[in-house]
Amino acid sequence: MKTTQKWNVRDVITTVLLTVLLIVIQLIVNMVCMANDFVSMVLSVGFTMFLCAPVYFLMVSRVHKRFVTLVYMTILGLVFLIMGNWYLLPYYIIVGIICEAILWRDGWESKKKMTAAWSVASLLYNGVNLLPIWFFWDTYEAFALSSGMEQSYIDSFVHYYTSAGWLAFIILFTMLGGFLGSLVGGKLVNKHFKKAGVL
Amino acid sequence: MRRGNFAIPVKLWALACTIIGISLTADTVLTCVLTVTGFAYLGAQRNWRLLRSMAVFYALLGILLYLIRFHDFHPAVFSEFYVLMFWTLTPVFLVSWDLITTPPGELASFLSRIHTPTPVILGLLVMFRFFPTMKSELRSVWLSMRNRGLTAPTQLVSHPAASCEYVFVPLLLRCLQIADQLSVSAVARGAERPGKRGSYYGKRADVCDSIWLALWTVVTAVFLVVGGVRI
Repeated sequence: MKTTQKWNVRDVITTVLLTVLLIVIQLIVNMVCMANDFVSMVLSVGFTMFLCAPVYFLMVSRVHKRFVTLVYMTILGLVFLIMGNWYLLPYYIIVGIICEAILWRDGWESKKKMTAAWSVASLLYNGVNLLPIWFFWDTYEAFALSSGMEQSYIDSFVHYYTSAGWLAFIILFTMLGGFLGSLVGGKLVNKHFKKAGVL
Repeated sequence: MRRGNFAIPVKLWALACTIIGISLTADTVLTCVLTVTGFAYLGAQRNWRLLRSMAVFYALLGILLYLIRFHDFHPAVFSEFYVLMFWTLTPVFLVSWDLITTPPGELASFLSRIHTPTPVILGLLVMFRFFPTMKSELRSVWLSMRNRGLTAPTQLVSHPAASCEYVFVPLLLRCLQIADQLSVSAVARGAERPGKRGSYYGKRADVCDSIWLALWTVVTAVFLVVGGVRI
């Protein structure tokens, strides 16, 4: 059955509610991972994308229309803008557009397309750590030093995000986190939400 | 004395000023100027509860920052980076929490008056009500889990995936139910009706609002001039 692509009140409310939930999960995972430098710098994005995948799947399957990912990424970018990282807003809008392109032709009907969209989103989510190093290093370093951070911490951050091997590992781990999260998300959607009749 | 509220344009302008200030400043420690202005702004609205809790939070951050900078203290459980980040972001937290806890009717009335599309108004209101709603939902989920003996530390540690599922699934189902209830409520109140909407709660700006509007502008400009600007 072909449904209209026009958003209604329920779509708006569902998207915003689940988007805020996604962002809160991302912030909580980030905070918990702060306890250890290695986990925080290398693994946290992968964990985040793994945990957020089921919520993303549910959101896209439930709204069942275009632009859900774009709205989510735009709100995420706005949160980063509020936190002072203005450059992440246009970046996440672009990520949202790329994911929308993957989902364009009824992507919400296909688990494969949703998995591809979330895996790509996971890959590009690394921009949150990489963009400051690539384009805003002076600002980032000045902030880190004025916070009283040890030079060794800054050096290890630079080491992880500039050495090709670590960079490849981080990117692969994040994509894998997103991919596995998508598989779990797909299973959870079938096991609980379709049965409960909410999709 | 009851809490007062400045007009919505003042609150939005205060938020814009703090975001511009912390995004462009070259001197992160000097953001305390914006924070002090934020505390005065809360005091002017008699928002004592938020002012008290944020003052304690800021004092703790200040102590931590002092120990980190001058006594070579390195926290074991989180990075120094985040202490300064929260210190810098405090003015944004102050004004945004004040905005979030504004009566939704006042906010909707202002946004409607400036012809904001209904989906945006609805989205903002849902976002602002998210935290109190989720707090009570999480508590319900936790109580249900405890009733079934699923919150014992051994259970949580030995079955982390299952524990996550027990929290995640009911919470997500509840989110969807809340979304449905809110949609029905909004539609029943005419959210899908086109045209301009009025409100019982619309508040006109007065002299006090104008003073704070000007004050935020001046403080942010002076803060950026004195502290320096970086892009």
